[in-house]
Amino acid sequence: MSINVGYFVRESVQNFRRNWVMSLGAVITIYLSLLLVGIFIATGFVVNSIVADVESKVTIQIFLKDGAATEDVNALQQQILNDPLVDGVDYTSKDEALKKFKEDMKQSPEIIDQLEGNPLPASLDVTLKDPRTVEQMVTKIKANPLFAKVADRPDDPEKSLKYGQQIVQRLFAFTRVVRIIEIVFVAMLGVVSLIFINNTIRLAIYARRKEIGIMRLVGASNWFIRTPFLLEGVLQAMIGATLAILSVIGLQAAIIPKLREALPWLAVQLSGSATAQIALWLIVGGIIIGVAGSWLAMTRYLKV
Amino acid sequence: MSEPTGAPSVARPAPEAAAPVRTGPSMISMRGVSKFYVADKPALVDVDVDIKAGEFVFIVGHSGSGKSTFIRLLLRELMPTRGQIVVAGQDLVKLKNWKVPYLRRNIGCVFQDFKLLPNKTSFENVAFALEVIGKSRHVIRTQVPEVLRLVGLEDKIDSYPDELSGGEQQRVSIARAFVNRPPLLLCDEPTGNLDPQTSLGIMKLLERINKTGTTVLVATHDREMVDNMRRRVIALEGGRIIRDQDRGVYGYVD
Repeated sequence: MSINVGYFVRESVQNFRRNWVMSLGAVITIYLSLLLVGIFIATGFVVNSIVADVESKVTIQIFLKDGAATEDVNALQQQILNDPLVDGVDYTSKDEALKKFKEDMKQSPEIIDQLEGNPLPASLDVTLKDPRTVEQMVTKIKANPLFAKVADRPDDPEKSLKYGQQIVQRLFAFTRVVRIIEIVFVAMLGVVSLIFINNTIRLAIYARRKEIGIMRLVGASNWFIRTPFLLEGVLQAMIGATLAILSVIGLQAAIIPKLREALPWLAVQLSGSATAQIALWLIVGGIIIGVAGSWLAMTRYLKV
Repeated sequence: MSEPTGAPSVARPAPEAAAPVRTGPSMISMRGVSKFYVADKPALVDVDVDIKAGEFVFIVGHSGSGKSTFIRLLLRELMPTRGQIVVAGQDLVKLKNWKVPYLRRNIGCVFQDFKLLPNKTSFENVAFALEVIGKSRHVIRTQVPEVLRLVGLEDKIDSYPDELSGGEQQRVSIARAFVNRPPLLLCDEPTGNLDPQTSLGIMKLLERINKTGTTVLVATHDREMVDNMRRRVIALEGGRIIRDQDRGVYGYVD
């Protein structure tokens, strides 16, 4: 027995055309759900790249008091450099610090004008191999007796150290909240899409109840009767997914350059492989919604 | 009406003593079949029937006598509450649901309301029955015109149902039921919507189909036709078989 593939495709396309208003509704809801999913995933990628970038920039700055003994500073630098957690230690002199400050504050020359002499301390800048070990390293530095000797403010060692851990943690907390909101939204939209597909397939079944009755009578196999409806749901989902992928790519092309312009100090980027991953997810999500929605309708309304 | 249990209130006449012995392989066998839609109202009670391959049988009875239940049980649209049914060698009680379509390929079905698809021509309506069981185009192109010729509609191959008379539509529906050459043809009131002259033509057609070796079972309350044909008659009343005679007549006064 040969199964006619053309028959199934013809049937599902025909159903799609017959109930095009409902089908359009299903396509649009799937499109919107998947579009949101796509935007959320893309946002996730961008945020991840930003977090990674910020993490890589996490350094520990040890501010040194004016007139700290050079040999003490050198000894501290050497000791820290020998630590397995540490990638490198750079010395920034008072003059260099001032130069960098002036560079950063280029846009507000009045602040620079108000400077008298050089209030900025020299510093040792510690780069870590793994940014997550920053707290550990800070504790070690605080425990080092040389640190107390050369610190800018030996009375308050906390103020002589600066590190970006707080920023990173806040960023992580923020992304966690965003992710939870994403999941809730996507789940709700997923349910709405399911209901819509369920409804269109139900209508398609109703429109063809006579044919289905005859098919059952003459002994068409259950799968033969079901397949066009399943395909119709998948077809709707695929159209929705394709539209969503195109929109995500379009939005990406429109928004990413603007973000980069607005936030030049952040590494806003979305690689080609990330886009491919988003497309894959949307297609998989679409097929799942399509199959589940039409399956639901078939088991409820198609008694074969 | 009969009691749900206990002795039947209607006497059950014995089959005619002179009945010829029916031989050959069994097509339909019912043993102690009962069907209750609701607990205390039986549609069929303790039905025992044997129909051999190649027979032509009328099932007669008033509305509500159990004719339709009888047909639907044979198609396994319904499961019996009690008893055993074997159709074309298949035990319907034990038959798995997914195998039901394959059972139905062995049973042609004709109904009072024809059940034709209005947007398909005669050819397409008959071809549909072959298409959906996966027959090749070649088979369809050869068998469909042949069966339409058999039912006498070779001129109306491309007509739509609304261009055909009632009798012609019923012929299309018989062609559809028979195109797959099933060993069993079930007809539920095939002439219920037709005038006597047309009904006679349909009956002659069913007789011709029966001559090819197909078992034909006709549920009807068309008195004239049953009396004319003088075939085996099984009479149902209140869900029980009250008469089963060869070369029988309708036998009721309506």
